Amino acid sequence: MDNKINLSQLAERLAQEGGMSKAAAEQFVKNFFDIISQRVLSEGLVKVKGLGTFKLIQMEDRESVNVNTGERFTIEGHQKISFVPDADLKERINKPFAAFDTVEITKEQADELAKMESDKDADDSEPEEKPQPVKEEKKSAKEKRLAQKQAQKAEAARKKAEKQLQKEPQKGDANPTVKDITQKKSTRCLLKVLIGILITILVLGLTLFMLWPLVGNRVLDIVDKSLNKEKIEVVKEKQSADPVEEAVKKEEVKDAPAQEPAAKPAEKPADKPAVQPAQPQNKPAEPAAKPAEKPAQTKPATETKYPVVKLNAQDEAKDLSEFTLADVVNYTMDGELTTHKLLKGETLTVVALKYYGSKKLWPYIAKYNNIKDPARLSPGIIIKVPVLKSK
Amino acid sequence: MNNKQFLNELSDKCQIGADQASVQVENLLGVMEKIWQDGDSVSLSGFGVLEVKKKNERVSVNPTTGVRMLVPPKLVLTYKPSSLLKEKLK
Repeated sequence: MDNKINLSQLAERLAQEGGMSKAAAEQFVKNFFDIISQRVLSEGLVKVKGLGTFKLIQMEDRESVNVNTGERFTIEGHQKISFVPDADLKERINKPFAAFDTVEITKEQADELAKMESDKDADDSEPEEKPQPVKEEKKSAKEKRLAQKQAQKAEAARKKAEKQLQKEPQKGDANPTVKDITQKKSTRCLLKVLIGILITILVLGLTLFMLWPLVGNRVLDIVDKSLNKEKIEVVKEKQSADPVEEAVKKEEVKDAPAQEPAAKPAEKPADKPAVQPAQPQNKPAEPAAKPAEKPAQTKPATETKYPVVKLNAQDEAKDLSEFTLADVVNYTMDGELTTHKLLKGETLTVVALKYYGSKKLWPYIAKYNNIKDPARLSPGIIIKVPVLKSK
Repeated sequence: MNNKQFLNELSDKCQIGADQASVQVENLLGVMEKIWQDGDSVSLSGFGVLEVKKKNERVSVNPTTGVRMLVPPKLVLTYKPSSLLKEKLK
């Protein structure tokens, strides 16, 4: 990169390539360029196939201004050697940038580009210290790298402007530079951090969501115990607010269960916290209260359950189509109907459905068996199924 | 002076056949192209420097239609005559 290859080096490489002695190669290269320089002076034009055209150009007199003094002066006409590379060679040299085409842009985009360019120039000149024009002349290694870097950045900007981001990585792969990579790294890091935060939030939310039946139950227990002594109505309100929200949430998460098996897991967490704290908790506190209070108290609790059950209502049996929630509380437990060994994956709702034809009646089973937390039943335990008698 | 004349003169000067000369010219150009593709430049005293320069992308405006075009960056082979050769021009 950026080495100057002189005559002897060139001859050496040619000797290896062309299979002639180094001296002959050197002589050949020397003659090659001598002829060009001589003939261009004497004839004004030299065409070398595969390289290009050297041409003598006449420059006219022109007026110029001395930048320091502001004086006008004329630059006298002179001759200049121009070189135009062969089309083939030109194309091959430009291969690394061959993918880019000239694009039409709007004025706004042009302005934006100019802005970016100036910003970028400011950025680049800082670490490199030297201003750009000096480097351009000196053509140091740094400059070349800088130029490439700039090209890539400008290219990236251009792509952005065009909203064609897919070409960008391809470019980066072709000519990776330190700055480009660090830039990409920083954006990647930012993305990673953002994703990490999102994931943690998600996980936290999920765990909270999963633990809610336990925690929520306990909270409700405490609230129950403290408030039962004073005003039961307050408790009712709280119960009605929380479980409904939760139940609705759960329903949203597990897309409306269309089939019975799919419905069960969704319904399990949804139903239980909703009713469990309401009935079994309140009922033990009952005996102290008047019997007249009982229906008044349990009814609101089951009403809270209403939206949940309604969502699952599609798998109700036909004869239960007229079975309303009000009916749920109209039973008393009268002795043991049978026992049931809980199988893996079975819940109290399943048991209720099996023996009563309605899963809504599961709280009676829970109460009869003194189950505190129906969400945590280990398979294999024997459950006593009570006989239900309507009042 | 076209390519044919150039090859003739070169073969005369090097005392090799015209076929040989054209083959060697091809080899030389191949070597130089590799040099340029590596980002190096060919510098010869008395002749000048042949090197590849990178031209930055730029926005060009068509003066008659006012259409703005973004010209992509490109690599261009440039030639800068040596001061010795420039002296001879005067």
